[in-house]
Amino acid sequence: MSKLNVLDLISDKPLIANFFDYEAYVRGDLELGLLENRRGDRLISIPDTMINALYQGLSKETGQAARLVMINCGKWWGKSFYNRFQQSLQDFYGIPLSEMDMLTFVRSLKEYWITHGWGKLEFDPEYRDRGLIVIKTYNSAYSRSLPGEQRPSCFLEAGILSSFFSRLVGRELVAVQTTCESLGADCNHFILGIPERLSRVEQWVLDGMSHDAIMQKLVL
Amino acid sequence: MRVADLLQKTEDRFLNPDEIAELRNFVAGMPTRLQIYKKLRDREVPILQAVADQVDRELPNADPKDVEKSISSLMLVLRYCAMALLMNNDEAFLKQRILRWLEQVSTAYNLRRINEVIFRYLNQLISQEFSPAELGLLQPLITTAQVTLIY
Repeated sequence: MSKLNVLDLISDKPLIANFFDYEAYVRGDLELGLLENRRGDRLISIPDTMINALYQGLSKETGQAARLVMINCGKWWGKSFYNRFQQSLQDFYGIPLSEMDMLTFVRSLKEYWITHGWGKLEFDPEYRDRGLIVIKTYNSAYSRSLPGEQRPSCFLEAGILSSFFSRLVGRELVAVQTTCESLGADCNHFILGIPERLSRVEQWVLDGMSHDAIMQKLVL
Repeated sequence: MRVADLLQKTEDRFLNPDEIAELRNFVAGMPTRLQIYKKLRDREVPILQAVADQVDRELPNADPKDVEKSISSLMLVLRYCAMALLMNNDEAFLKQRILRWLEQVSTAYNLRRINEVIFRYLNQLISQEFSPAELGLLQPLITTAQVTLIY
C-alpha cells in the first residue's frame, strides 16, 4: 500500500495549474470594448509604436532625466503589479504567497511575463545565497535605445523588477541592467541586490565591463 | 487539425469537400472520444492510486513529497489529455496549456526517475483498461506528455 492516498490528494490540496495561461487568462467583452483578465481586471494592449513614442517623447521633453522618469514609472507599476500578482495567486491556489514553493512562484512569474507580451523571463538562482538575484529577459518590449545614448535601456523593466522584488523580500532592492538587446546582446541581464552593494555597477556598465566580469567583481 | 482553426480559417466561404470530410470524421469519432473521456474521469482515482503504489514498490526510498508532486502532475496531465481528446487530439492545446508548465518542475526537482516509473506503469495500465480503438486516440496524447516530461 502506498504512503500516498490519491483521494486525500484530490480533496486536500489545490492542483497547481497555470493561472496565467494565455487562453484562460485573457478574456474580455469585446462588445463593451473591454479586454480583461480572468479576474475581471482591465487589460489594454499597447502597440509597439506607443512604447517608441514614450521613449522619444520623454527623451525630448526631459533629456537626461528620461531614464529616471521611466525607472520611477516602472517602480510604481511594479508596486501594484506585486499586489495584484500576489492576490491572484493566493485566490487561485488558496495558499498565501509566503507558503508557496519557490518554483511555483518563479514559473508563475515567467508565465505572467509571457502572457502579457513582455517577452521571456528567466531567473538565475546561482548567486542567490550571495544575496544577489540575476534575471534575464528575452525579446523585451522595453528594450530600445534612447537617442544619443549607449546604455542599457529597459528602464521600465528595471523599475518593475526592483519594486516587485523589494516587496517580495521585504527590503529595498535595486535592479541594475548590465546587458541590453538594444545594444546587440542576446538578452537583457538585471542584477538585483541592496543599493549599497550595486552602487558602482552602473558605472562599470558604462565603462564597458561585461556582465560576467561584473558578477565576478561583485561576489569576490 | 484543430476544429476551431478549421472553422475559423474558412471566414467568408463554405467549407470545401476535404474540410467537410475532416469535420465528419471528427464528429463520427466523437462518441468514442466521449466514452474514453468518461472512463478517464471515472477511473482517475484507481489509476492514479495504482501508479502511486507502483512507484512505492519500485522506488521505496523516493521522497514522499516528490512522489506527491509527480502524482499531482500526472493528475493534471490526464485531465488535460481528456480535454485535448474532445478537441480532436489537440496536441498544441496540451503542450501550451499544461506541458510547458509541468516541464519546468519535472526538470527542476529532478523528478525524472519517478516520472519514468509513472509513465511506464501508466502505459501498462491503460493498455489493459482501454480497447485498441480507444488507445489509438488516447495513446498519442499520453506519449506526447511522456516525451515532454521525461526526455
